Amino acid sequence: MSKVIIIGAGPAGLSAAITIAENGLNVLVIDEYMKPGGRLLGQLYEETNGNWWNGIKESQNLFDKAVAAGVEIKLKTPVSNIEKMDDIWNVYTEDEVYTTSHLLLATGAAEAPLPIPGWTLPGVMSVGAAQVMTNVHRVKPGERGVIVGVNVLSSAIAMELKLAGIDIAAITLPKMNIVTEKSGNPLDVMNSLLHVSHMAPSAFVKMGSKLMKNDFMKRMGITFFPKNGVKMWDIPIMLRKAVVEIYGESQVEGVTIATISPAGEVIPGTEEKIAADFVCIAGGLYPLAELAAVAGCPFYHIEELGGYVPLHNERMESPLEGLYVAGNITGIEGAKVAISQGVTAGLAIVNSIDGGKQEAKLNDSIKAIEETRNDAYIQFHPEVKTGKQKLLNFWNEHQKAVVS
Amino acid sequence: MTKRIIHHPVLDQIDDTDTVSFTFDNKKYKALRDEPIAAALLANGIRTLRNHEETGTPRGIYCNIGHCFECRVTVDGKQGVRACLTPIQEGMDVTSGEKLLTSVRDWRANNE
Amino acid sequence: MVICRCEEVTYEELVKTAERYSCSPRELKLRTRAGMGYCGGRTCRNAVDSIALSSTERNVSEITLKYQPPIRPISFSKLGEVVNND
Repeated sequence: MSKVIIIGAGPAGLSAAITIAENGLNVLVIDEYMKPGGRLLGQLYEETNGNWWNGIKESQNLFDKAVAAGVEIKLKTPVSNIEKMDDIWNVYTEDEVYTTSHLLLATGAAEAPLPIPGWTLPGVMSVGAAQVMTNVHRVKPGERGVIVGVNVLSSAIAMELKLAGIDIAAITLPKMNIVTEKSGNPLDVMNSLLHVSHMAPSAFVKMGSKLMKNDFMKRMGITFFPKNGVKMWDIPIMLRKAVVEIYGESQVEGVTIATISPAGEVIPGTEEKIAADFVCIAGGLYPLAELAAVAGCPFYHIEELGGYVPLHNERMESPLEGLYVAGNITGIEGAKVAISQGVTAGLAIVNSIDGGKQEAKLNDSIKAIEETRNDAYIQFHPEVKTGKQKLLNFWNEHQKAVVS
Repeated sequence: MTKRIIHHPVLDQIDDTDTVSFTFDNKKYKALRDEPIAAALLANGIRTLRNHEETGTPRGIYCNIGHCFECRVTVDGKQGVRACLTPIQEGMDVTSGEKLLTSVRDWRANNE
Repeated sequence: MVICRCEEVTYEELVKTAERYSCSPRELKLRTRAGMGYCGGRTCRNAVDSIALSSTERNVSEITLKYQPPIRPISFSKLGEVVNND
């Protein structure tokens, strides 16, 4: 029997691999990165119980467990294509073609940009890049940075950079244009922040969730939002300023910011310069589903899940036989949800191979995903459950269409 | 190497004693063994990894996890290597990408 | 302002093209080369989508900018190899 193949050694891929190997099957995990863990590697935050969620340790634990269970892990191995031939999935890497009857895609997420004049200058990087450089490789992305884009991910990473002794001059908005329409609108940003109030130890967002129950209060809140921002972990969060340009001769020297109206329009004459040697762009995550796309999987665009996601059911099965998905490829959520989804995908694969002996465990694992989701510390999208329901509806429609 | 975060309030201290030598555009630098080329260069204060093939604008790391290909460099003669995904090894010869001739485009711009 | 970093396609060019042709993200990509560079559109696809979708409707059941294999660059020598499945 061929090995089960998993593409992606992040939390979803590794937990699926452990589940499958512990059930006595052979598993190969392929990842293009040099370390196992995926985006989990960079994560570092204090949980409500006072414990630190340390992505490096969590990744190491998953990796050790996988190795102990007999999982084979191939790092530094990019997959360029997958293709089904004669009921067998072919997985193409630079040096070899691997084949399997059961293939799990756990390729995670990619970052969307917020284009700003000057954003191609060296020293401008995605906020995730700064996180990895700081926490994983332990090199400062710079001495003093500006983070563009105010959201859950950027505020969490701002705190991590601060923890490593890096000065963050400000977290602020991008100048509004067609691309940055939502991220550049103070009211929209304020709205999305109200859902992460528990993350802010300062009065800033808490004030929001208590006072801003209705649109009028929100508008008042943003109108009277202090021009120089409020501080969170001693970092000014500026919802009434926007970066209009990143400047520098051959690399970043600073940003030009301007005051903006509550609707996001730049107020002329308010431009000022902030010196910085790096800039982080925080445009949010979207599911990285390119392999599912080249395989011919149907896709649906679901805003609440972060973009186009491959069609799948609660068992993490795609409509293509032998193709499974788990983790952020199925929608943007935290690492703990990804781990739970990995277990379900793993059990679904085992169940398919051993002729349905895992039904009970599989159903329990689906419930466990739901519980993990309910307990999640970080909600990337407040309506993620609505998004999951939409996807399930699409799945049911698809199944009906196939049967009839 | 002051750009390194040796001590961290939560994460373990890193070992900065196991070093290797490499060259970037023929200049010699030191790195920590197995760290990615991109991290080694940044630790040495180097942000510009290449110049855009057509316009020559300077580029550095952007996504740092292999998605954007902005950090592609030439390593021991092999082109298009992602500096963010490639562990540095003793004696590695890393060179940045330079602006290429775009003769056809330039000719068209002047003659059409 | 650059949108597609690989091909250096600007915001202005994309907005102008989208306004002129009221085209889909895919057509916008083909007309401007945005998203057709080295990274395969991983970085700019959402931005290109937003610009095109300001003048057309999104098709929720079809990926706007199609992915083509190989999704990672491979060398010409590898591309020439014949895969034998027998």
